[in-house]
Amino acid sequence: MIEFAVFFFFAAVAVIFALVVVLHRNPVVGALSLVASFFALAVMYVLLDAPFLAALQVIVYAGAIMVLFLFVIMLLNLQYQREEPTRPIQQFLGYFGSAAFGVSLVYYISKYAVIASGPKTRFVTSAKTIGIRLFEAYILPFEMVSILLLAAIVGALVLTSKAAGKQVTE
Amino acid sequence: MIPTAWFLILSAMLFAIGVCGVLTRKNGITIFMSIELMVNAVNLTFLAYAREFHQLHGLIFVLFIMAIAAAEAAVGLAIFINLFHHRETIDVDEANLMHW
Repeated sequence: MIEFAVFFFFAAVAVIFALVVVLHRNPVVGALSLVASFFALAVMYVLLDAPFLAALQVIVYAGAIMVLFLFVIMLLNLQYQREEPTRPIQQFLGYFGSAAFGVSLVYYISKYAVIASGPKTRFVTSAKTIGIRLFEAYILPFEMVSILLLAAIVGALVLTSKAAGKQVTE
Repeated sequence: MIPTAWFLILSAMLFAIGVCGVLTRKNGITIFMSIELMVNAVNLTFLAYAREFHQLHGLIFVLFIMAIAAAEAAVGLAIFINLFHHRETIDVDEANLMHW
């Protein structure tokens, strides 16, 4: 029973902070709410018997990626910039369209109850089993991701270097 | 055990909120954060199905998605810094150099 209480509490936390991200005008508040939402999602991962990925969620997402976001927001002093509202028709279509999308998705998932009950037996995954699978069956994608990360580092350096800015302005 | 459908419903709600952010906001960083929210909703779906079918593939896919999200964040934020240096704003409507 305690499992269900934890699920509903952290599901509510995740959804409420996600709404704050979308609705709040100040991007610093948005970034911090997104961190809270990611923490709630890490709890969901623990409930799904994936403690290793929950740890990764906290370290990589809530730690590294969101610190990068906050760093850029504060570097550019964006919290003082007023954001102009979008056109009313765009506002209406955006809110209405996404609400219709979400409601229909939830309706069909609950109506046709993709999988109405949990699995009978537990499937706890440790870092060891994931690591063995990662370095045996998934070694090629793993190496490709490492090359992708290298390309991202080089791309970020080139984009933000002084020389790139000069080239564009000249 | 918590039914898998509940995780799917939570994931659908988070994804819809992310779609709403992308469609209604103009601040580039906020749009980017909404995209991260959608990526996380998909991760939750992957993990829910991985538990349901007792498969490791879903977990490893989530691992790769996290790595790609990190790369995406680095390059995307570099683009926004560049945009800010040229336009003094990160309003995505101002980035209209290629607009016809």
